[in-house]
Amino acid sequence: MGYIELEVLDDQPKRVVIGIDLGTTNSLPAIWKDGRPEILEVEGEPALIPSVVHVKDDGTAIVGRSARARALEEPASTVHSVKRFMGRSLSDVDDEVLRRLPYRVTQTERGLVQVEVRGKTFTPQELSALVLREVANQASAAMNGAEIVSAVITVPAYFDDAQRQATRDAARLAGIEVLRIINEPTAASLAYGLDQRKEGTVAVYDFGGGTFDVSILSIEEGVFQVLSTNGDTSLGGDDLDAALVDLLKRELAEDVDAAVFDDPAFRQAARLAAEKAKVALSSDPHADLAISLPEHGVNVRRRVTREEFESLIERPVEQTLECCRRALADAGLRPDQIDEVVLVGGSTRVPYVRAQVEAFFCRAPHTGLNPDEVVALGAAAQAEVLMGGSRDILLMDVTPLSLGLETMGGAAEKLIQRNSRIPCSVTEGFTTYADGQTAIDFHVLQGEREMAVDCRSLGRFKLTGIPPMAAGMARVGVRFHLDADGILTVTAKEESTGVTASIEVKPSHGLSEDEVEEMLEASIANARRDFDERRRVDLIAEVGTMLRHARANLDVAKERLDRESLEDLQEAIAAADAAQSSTDLEEVEAARDVLDRATMPLATVLMDSVVKEAVAGKKLGDV
Amino acid sequence: MIQTDGALDPFTILGLEDSMEVDPADLKKRLRRFTRLVHPDFYALEGTENLALAEENNALLNEAYDILSDDIRRADWLVRHLGGPSEKDLGGMPQEFLMEVMEWNEVLEEAEAGSQALRTLEDELCAHRDRVTREIRTSLTPLPEHGAPALESTRKNINAYRYIDRAMQRIAGIPYTL
Repeated sequence: MGYIELEVLDDQPKRVVIGIDLGTTNSLPAIWKDGRPEILEVEGEPALIPSVVHVKDDGTAIVGRSARARALEEPASTVHSVKRFMGRSLSDVDDEVLRRLPYRVTQTERGLVQVEVRGKTFTPQELSALVLREVANQASAAMNGAEIVSAVITVPAYFDDAQRQATRDAARLAGIEVLRIINEPTAASLAYGLDQRKEGTVAVYDFGGGTFDVSILSIEEGVFQVLSTNGDTSLGGDDLDAALVDLLKRELAEDVDAAVFDDPAFRQAARLAAEKAKVALSSDPHADLAISLPEHGVNVRRRVTREEFESLIERPVEQTLECCRRALADAGLRPDQIDEVVLVGGSTRVPYVRAQVEAFFCRAPHTGLNPDEVVALGAAAQAEVLMGGSRDILLMDVTPLSLGLETMGGAAEKLIQRNSRIPCSVTEGFTTYADGQTAIDFHVLQGEREMAVDCRSLGRFKLTGIPPMAAGMARVGVRFHLDADGILTVTAKEESTGVTASIEVKPSHGLSEDEVEEMLEASIANARRDFDERRRVDLIAEVGTMLRHARANLDVAKERLDRESLEDLQEAIAAADAAQSSTDLEEVEAARDVLDRATMPLATVLMDSVVKEAVAGKKLGDV
Repeated sequence: MIQTDGALDPFTILGLEDSMEVDPADLKKRLRRFTRLVHPDFYALEGTENLALAEENNALLNEAYDILSDDIRRADWLVRHLGGPSEKDLGGMPQEFLMEVMEWNEVLEEAEAGSQALRTLEDELCAHRDRVTREIRTSLTPLPEHGAPALESTRKNINAYRYIDRAMQRIAGIPYTL
């Protein structure tokens, strides 16, 4: 009883905040439970969602594992790695990355990346929102249907304002409130409790499926500062698999026509065989690369030793160390000045990778946690802080890039310096340069370069409604506020008259407020369509069951029903049969109702006979 | 562009008396202690108004810390607070400095990246920066009276420091801009 009373008295139930690792390849939710972060599980398996969206020919989307399964057969309508395009212009994206994409990428009028599938265009935010929605659904399933409304989401340390804003917009489209965006390396460090260190430096080595990132952080009593980041956006665990696939191809080259290598079935089988061998080689001294596709005349089993595998992957691993070297140089540190090394990403399970990282930093890396889960776990630890559970963790982040405005001469004037602690605000005064001027244009920039053209354009805004006065008389205070997530807002006020000037910000790489609103509406409309679609599918299944039942008892009906009822039933069966292939929800619904009514007399007859059979030969009391 | 100055008093915010002397370790401790009180993370579920207030307070705290932890920004604030001239009011540098500045500018314009001339200049700038910093410190310890004429020479020294800082940044930046 006590429990129930507590429930009733607690009129503000504790909100559930989850941590989400929104990855390039996979996404994963975690939550704080019983004093520690925990990966959410569905049916005993981590609720890992491949960050893949497949658009079906009817325009509906599927997300996750089932979407990834279509990637080889329908590459053009299966979108992966959309994180690479968040908040980016097409011109920002590496040509090499674009060339490797199996799906079509174009640009919007403003030059932003959009993905084109089956003649429809999607922004990266919309696609990311679909992934996030699926993550939230799985998380909800893992928590007995609890509604997920709030989350901490992780992003790479090098994400700029536009990329962070795009991530936030994606969450909004997915119906999730982002309470905090934190850096992935910071999250990984939190998962290992490194924030408790008095001071020190941390290298976070993140070797994921398709990308490699290294971040050098400094920690000083809970203050995390990103000193430098480096990486390679086209280097990942896939390259380790590819080394083994290439070995397989060399093995087969003499016996098999090269065209086979391009066959989706072969590519899929080879990739799986390589992955399996790679995983086995992490624990065994040798493994078999085995692939059998009789219809292609392929049947091979090749033993690979760990030494051989290591020689095959030497090059990609050396490339990651080269990135580490550059990151250290930028941070002004030597490898032996790193106090802690944290491993993130499945590829760091490969013993050779671990050994190389250890040799490079002269230090054994942390390996106690699952490298695929460590970022999500850290996000959950931060979520606990936000839920008011703990004040032990205090993340004091800094902004990685300076923020400023373009001046008259085209130079970049920095208002907020890089490495400033966030949140922070700066107010700068501006005035007019012409008599009677009522508006001023501003160009907001992010970056370290001296000239505006070399910096990243965050957006332009126009200050209007300045009362007309002599040049130089107006005193306009423009306030930059960078919040704890590193996202900028700008406000302005004409100070001599107290008139609040209106600001219209046009983000250069993100979505405007109107666009987000529009998409939200569209996604609600979509949700309605999705809902109708599901209802239609369910109804068709129900009609199918009813039809089978009715047909099975048609003989009884012919024998026992009156003529009119029988005709009704036969008509209803024919109509329901036709409705099974209908795409119109209402039509299916109507057919189901007609069939339901028409089977009523039959049901009565059947019930009667069942009862009669049951009571036949028995005394009433025994029934 | 004109400077606007909010009502921010960094010493009050961090619970300190106005002074040029600040203990960096103590300052850091204060920053952490106060951040634990105002960081937005602890107000995430307290409603938008409280969250906005926390953002605001934390931003003020961070700005106060930035001013106090930087010798020159602290000096700049104290000079203005004591009724001395701001950079806009008095832009000049100390007289004895001006001749040297002209020579330095010449080297900056003409010398090649990594050349001996630039390295010599860098050493020279470094020595001057240390001397100017010492002079600024001494002139504000103890704090002069409100509106004291000495604040003018302190302002000129602050301007000199900023010139040296920019010049050194340019030396560091030369290999990148070429």
